[in-house]
Parts: sequence; structure tokens; C-alpha cells
Amino acid sequence: MLVPSSGTGQYAALSAKIIRFVRHGCTNRPFFHIVVAERRREQFEPVIEQVGSYDPMPNERNEKLVSLNLERIAYWLGNGADCTKPVQELLGLSGFLPIHPLSYMAAWKNRQAAEAAVVEEKPEGDHK
Amino acid sequence: MLRLLSNLRLFQPVSLHNHQTVRWARKPRKPRWMPTAKSKMFKIPERIKYPEEENKEVLRLFNNYRTAMKSIKQYLTNRYNVQLQAKSDTEQLKKAFEEDFARCSSINDKWNEQIRKEREVRIAKELQEEIEFSKNRKAEVLRQRAEELEQAEEIVRKEKQAVASLITPEQLDEVIERAINNPVDYNFAIDLDGNRIYGRETMSADAVKAKQ
Repeated sequence: MLVPSSGTGQYAALSAKIIRFVRHGCTNRPFFHIVVAERRREQFEPVIEQVGSYDPMPNERNEKLVSLNLERIAYWLGNGADCTKPVQELLGLSGFLPIHPLSYMAAWKNRQAAEAAVVEEKPEGDHK
Repeated sequence: MLRLLSNLRLFQPVSLHNHQTVRWARKPRKPRWMPTAKSKMFKIPERIKYPEEENKEVLRLFNNYRTAMKSIKQYLTNRYNVQLQAKSDTEQLKKAFEEDFARCSSINDKWNEQIRKEREVRIAKELQEEIEFSKNRKAEVLRQRAEELEQAEEIVRKEKQAVASLITPEQLDEVIERAINNPVDYNFAIDLDGNRIYGRETMSADAVKAKQ
């Protein structure tokens, strides 16, 4: 029996639930489903419900596309589900949750790297 | 058993046939049972040191994030949690249940009444049939008994007839005398045509019977 990747809706009542990624791409082409699953299950086992998707590779307009079913995410968070850090970051960037500290850290590291690159480009004696 | 298990594949990682692990698959990697290299045995990687300000900032951010998440989770729990919602309108659920029960009960009573009427009619009919059957059976039994009595009387009558020709002790001597005087010879000859030919001195059974 094949199980739909959108979820089976079956779960143990008292098990820990988690909202996390499942990698549904292929080699060198990542694509993630955002799913609600039982925490003890492995990545490719049947999930309870799919609540979104995430394409981490930028398209031709330099966009990383995310879709989220916010109603269901709110429902599952209200019923005791946890999120993994990457999902928390995505939800923070989408404005549903506060922005995750890891996002801030990534941002300032990128900023520092960019500044360093600018400094490196200019010759030593050139700057004011 | 195998078929049963194959129906339970929901609980197995069914998508794994699309999944190929490449860990340890590359050639130049050393076998996983090999120990740490001698040259690396006592190498302790230097711990990365972040600036003090950055550490404080990260700690602050995480504290804020946790606090915010706690309150958000509490809000969502109050709003969406199944158990809390179920608890909140227990009274209403109970009332709804009682109304439903009353409705079902009235329907059930109606059906019971209807079935009671049908049952009474049926029982009366069955009683009538039973009475009819017993009457028939009684008549039949009586008829059989009369028949048996008839047969018994028939037998008695025949016996009584037979009694007339019986030999009594008073007659005994006379009967013996007669039997001795009239000997019966049952021997006979037979010719080609099947005729019985009795002897000159003997008498045929018919003749004896006639004489008696």
C-alpha cells in the first residue's frame, strides 16, 4: 500500500508531534515538504499531515518559494507540536512567529562577510 | 501471516525504496572499523571563541525568543487545544446527549408499542392454531384407540370360534380311539403328469379330513 506524502492523518494520541522537513527532491536538487510527524518516526516514514513546502533553490527571479498552511500549523502548535529549528526560522521569516535568533546570526555573519569582501577589494592605501 | 503483515505496511518506512544512503559509500574513505589515526589521537581541536558582545547578544535573542514562543504557545493552546475545548462545553455536550437520548427513546417506545400490538395478534393466532391442532390430535388418538379395540375384539371372536373345536379332557379317549382307527398315510406316488397317486391301503389327507 502506498501512503500519500500529504499525510495519513493517523497517529498515536499521546506521542510527541513535531513540525519538520522531509526531503523530497533528488540528488543535487533539494525540495522539502513541511510536515507534522510523530517525533520518533524517521524522515521517510508516513507523516500525519503536510502543512507546507519549501524550495531552497532560488528560481530565475531569485526567490526561494515557501508555502505554509498557517491554520493547521497554529492548530498543531496549539495541540503540543514542536518545530525543528529550520522550520522555526522559516515561520519567523514568514512573520508567523518571532524571528529566530539563528536568522539574526546568519544575517550579521553575511553582513560581516560582505563588509570584509568590500574591504578586501579596495587596495590597502586607497581607503580614506 | 505474510499477507496480514503486508497490510500493515503503514507502520513501515514505505518510501525508503526511493532513498539510497551514500554515507560511507565513497571509495577513499577509510573503513569505519579503523580507529583514530595515531597522529590525530591526541589532537584537540581549538575551541572557537566568539566575542563577548556577540555571546551576550545571542543569549539575549534566545531568551527573548523563548519568552515570546512561550506566550504564543499558550495562546494557541487556549485557542486550539482539543482537550481544553472539550472540557469547556461539557454541559452543552451533556445536554445535547440527553436531548438526543430522549429523541431516540421516544422512537424506541413507538416501535415497542407497534411491535407489542403485532405480538398480541400473533400470539392469539398461534394459540388458536395450537387449540385446533390439539383437537385434531385428540380426535385422531380416539379414532386409533377405537380401531385397536376393534382389532382386539376381532381376535377374541376368532379365538372363541376356535375354542369350540378344541379337545377337552373328557373327549380325549374318544379322540385317541378315533385317531387309531383311522390311520393316515401321507405317502403317495407321482406320475409324469404330476398326478398324485395314493396307495390302496392308505387314505389321502383329504379323505381323512372328510371322514373326520
